[in-house]
Amino acid sequence: MLSKAAIKELNEIRQKYPDASAALLPALYIAQREFGYLGADAYEAVSDALGVPRAIARGVGTFYAMYKHKPMGRHIVQLCTNVSCMILGAEKLSDFLKNKYGLETGGTTPDKRFSLVIMECIGACGTAPAMLVDDDFYENLTEKYIEEILEKYK
Amino acid sequence: MITVTIDGKEIKLEKPVTVLEAARSAGIKIPTLCWHEQLERYGGCRLCLVEIEKMPRLQTACTFMVADGMVVRTETEQTANVRRGILEFLLINHPLDCPVCDKAGECELQNLVGKYGPAKGRYKEKKRKVPESLEDPIIVRNMERCIMCTRCVRMCEGVQGASAIDVISRGGHSHIEPFSGGKYDCEYCGNCISVCPVGAIMSRLHRHSFRPWQMENEIETICPYCGVGCTLIVQVRDDVIKRVVPRIGSVVNNGLLCTRGRFGYEFVGSKERLTTPLVRIAPKTQSGVGSQESTLSQPPFDKGGSQGGVISELFREATWEEAISLVAKKLSEIKEEYGNPAIAGIASPRCTNEDNYIFQKFMRVALGTNNIDSTARTGFAGAQSFIENIFGQGATANIISGLSNSDLVFVIGGDPTTVNPILGLQIRACSRNGGNILTIGNFKGLEYFSPQKLVPVLYTEDILLEGIVTVLKNKKRLSDANSKLEAKIKDISTSIEDVKNICKIEEKDFNEFLNILSESTNPSIVIGKETAQSNGASYKLLLLSAINYLINGRLYLLSDRANEQGLLDMGCAPDILPGYRPVSYVESKRRYESIWESELPGKTGLTIFEMVNAAKNGSLKAMYVMGENPVYNLPDSKTVEAALRNIEFLVVQDIFLTETGKLADVVLPALSWAEKDGTFTNMERRIQRLRKAVNGNGMEDWRIISEIARNMGKKFDYSNAEDIFNEICKASPLHKDLTYEDIEKGGGIYPYKGEPLRDGMEEIQVHNAERLSVNGKLYLRIERPLFHSGTLSRRAPALVKIYPEAVVRISPDTAKALSFKEGEVVRVSTKIGSIELPVVIDKALDNFSVMLTNNFEGKSAYRLMGYDIEPVTRASVLDGNTVAIEKAGL
Repeated sequence: MLSKAAIKELNEIRQKYPDASAALLPALYIAQREFGYLGADAYEAVSDALGVPRAIARGVGTFYAMYKHKPMGRHIVQLCTNVSCMILGAEKLSDFLKNKYGLETGGTTPDKRFSLVIMECIGACGTAPAMLVDDDFYENLTEKYIEEILEKYK
Repeated sequence: MITVTIDGKEIKLEKPVTVLEAARSAGIKIPTLCWHEQLERYGGCRLCLVEIEKMPRLQTACTFMVADGMVVRTETEQTANVRRGILEFLLINHPLDCPVCDKAGECELQNLVGKYGPAKGRYKEKKRKVPESLEDPIIVRNMERCIMCTRCVRMCEGVQGASAIDVISRGGHSHIEPFSGGKYDCEYCGNCISVCPVGAIMSRLHRHSFRPWQMENEIETICPYCGVGCTLIVQVRDDVIKRVVPRIGSVVNNGLLCTRGRFGYEFVGSKERLTTPLVRIAPKTQSGVGSQESTLSQPPFDKGGSQGGVISELFREATWEEAISLVAKKLSEIKEEYGNPAIAGIASPRCTNEDNYIFQKFMRVALGTNNIDSTARTGFAGAQSFIENIFGQGATANIISGLSNSDLVFVIGGDPTTVNPILGLQIRACSRNGGNILTIGNFKGLEYFSPQKLVPVLYTEDILLEGIVTVLKNKKRLSDANSKLEAKIKDISTSIEDVKNICKIEEKDFNEFLNILSESTNPSIVIGKETAQSNGASYKLLLLSAINYLINGRLYLLSDRANEQGLLDMGCAPDILPGYRPVSYVESKRRYESIWESELPGKTGLTIFEMVNAAKNGSLKAMYVMGENPVYNLPDSKTVEAALRNIEFLVVQDIFLTETGKLADVVLPALSWAEKDGTFTNMERRIQRLRKAVNGNGMEDWRIISEIARNMGKKFDYSNAEDIFNEICKASPLHKDLTYEDIEKGGGIYPYKGEPLRDGMEEIQVHNAERLSVNGKLYLRIERPLFHSGTLSRRAPALVKIYPEAVVRISPDTAKALSFKEGEVVRVSTKIGSIELPVVIDKALDNFSVMLTNNFEGKSAYRLMGYDIEPVTRASVLDGNTVAIEKAGL
């Protein structure tokens, strides 16, 4: 179930679009925030709130890789391993995350604190390696720096 | 005029169409996979690429529009190479498991690869592996075979309007799934199966049981379920129906089917079918109804299919000769002893026009009584005659496809998408074409089609309708075209305050609704059975007629039986003769007396409800029931059962040993819809041909009755259904001069060549019923589910798998107040009975309503529902059945 506030937010978003299916993408973001990821409950909630058939909501949601399709940790670490980052040691950092925090690619720590997503270039080749934690951007990464950063996210 | 040259052939076109359509119009076939004539163009598969002169690249014929002077080549070395390349890509992940694929032989991919190649693939990697999904009881999905043409998705969303499946994920991972990922939660129309070009979406009903080329016969006939009258293609092998498919271009359903039509055919081959006449050996007792009840719900046959169990306790087998002479003798004796009025007959909206015509002729000529009626009396018959009395005969005979061209459809009294699904699709199409959908009440099947809804408090619809008439008559000018109706309209008046306070409808919503309604230029009004069965039905029908008159609309009366209209037109009613001519007209009585060479009873007969009462009080001594199950299909069915037990001689002619059949003195096995020829008249009053597809063990209903009539010394000489039809068309002024040949050529459209009854309209009679107040009580209402029709559907295994058991539906608030959880078994009780069944919480319901279907043996709504008779329409009124729900087992 979506919270009352979320439903209100959804209705407001709905008003900005000519029809309900056009409002699906932002609505799915709200549902993802509320449910943690897009599963059956989230799709059903969006479908009920917008009046878009459930199968259609799920079809749209699963098309986009940047929605979360399974339960994830409280914070999402998105590490770039494209060419520049790789050359400057991103793969070692990935190993570090695994050894230190038990974070496998696509996995979640047992305490549900972090999930790791290996992502494509985030345009920080000049200051590689780089990563995102939730919506925050970090560059010139080292193992020590990563430890400091992750301390900020509980 | 546009002239294009395709493959050297000059084609002249009136208006611009796609290259593909132009080619098809000239008989040139361009290969396609994603294109389908029932769907929007898509341009996804690229198989229809053709060469167009002066164009630098190949173009997709399915999306490219023709232009004057265009020169197109559809089969060149280049197009063949391209097509082979595309097919090679499609085969990368295709399992090539044709030997075990039911589609092989009618697979579009197989045929195309056969034509263009490749003979060998170059792909060295592993193929995508997806396990076949057998989670659903009806539909198998095999996503390895899927080529992502999305025809199923476009069918489901754009035509059926169910939007139950979609493409999930993307790229190489894309696949088609219902929301759950496994079992479907959909309308089970199976139209996705129709359009799938490969073996990716298939029916489980006939899985691995035949090859398409092994089909021995294909018969075009009409669906036995609802009043829409869809064309079915019945495919037969070894005298068994293997599959039912639609035909693109057929008049009513044009390539579409609903779940009942497509998957409901298996009752024909049911082991429960009656095979020989049965004569009662067990005594009929009034006492011990309870113990009898248990036999009623037992399966009549042993599992092995041999006759035994209940049947051998109640009946012995008899020969046709014995049974027929017994029936003739007993009926003659009763007629002799008690007189004609002591005999009554119930006709069948499932039987053909020919069957029903012979039935009423038999009752009138051989037994001398007008005591003929049917379950059409429970709603349809009275509503139709009420409306026809205002607007003239044929007022409800409107073409179903006209709904999609309306700019507004106003729906009341039933969800068209479940009662008459293919008609429901036309309403959805109306919405898609930009039309407005207005509903009085919540109808789930129209929920995604932006309906403007007014949902009045239960049993206050009449005030809302009065409110609508009040506003409309001030907005529209009365023209005096129908002075009788206008006189009534002038008296109708209510205030917006009443609409607000009693119906609990917001003034803003009401005004918006009325603005849309009054501005419509081409509106249609669809009336369901719940209105016809409501308290004050005649007044509501008057109000709806008034609305129809004021907005100049077309009326549609939903009909849940295949030949409900035909049975009335054949005169199977206590007050009408064939051709819908009143018995009270001396002229029409004389006409039939001379044609049938027999004197006819002049007195109007008993309605079906009056028959039940007469049986109860002992004045009715014999009853002949053809293809109907009154113990099940009439409200207060326990009373009906007791009444029928009271009848001295009961004949039941049916395809199954129904609840009614178990009470009979003689049971006569009839042929089912698929086993006989004849005609049905659908709700548009279109007459269509039923054709025999398989052999059965019984006899046609008309043949059995004719045999009995002959045994009684009457001249009933017919050798086939066509003979009877010819007599109908000789006798009935409405069906004048019609022949089977005319019908096959499309001449079955109302008013045929006939003479609808124009004169003799009576004054408009209305019954002003006292309004029921609903304070705090719960009321039982009938759920009319898409998947069931009753006696037939519960013997169709596929439909039972989809909707396996009776449930009671309550609103979320009711559930909360009574602290019931979804699926919990509860006891539902009314004044006349109680049953236990699981709860389903239904968001579309109001807090006064409790919904129950009348489709499951022993747990049917009619066992709990009492009724009144609406004095004008003489239909059963089902409103006001208070109901209590409590935890089961307490």
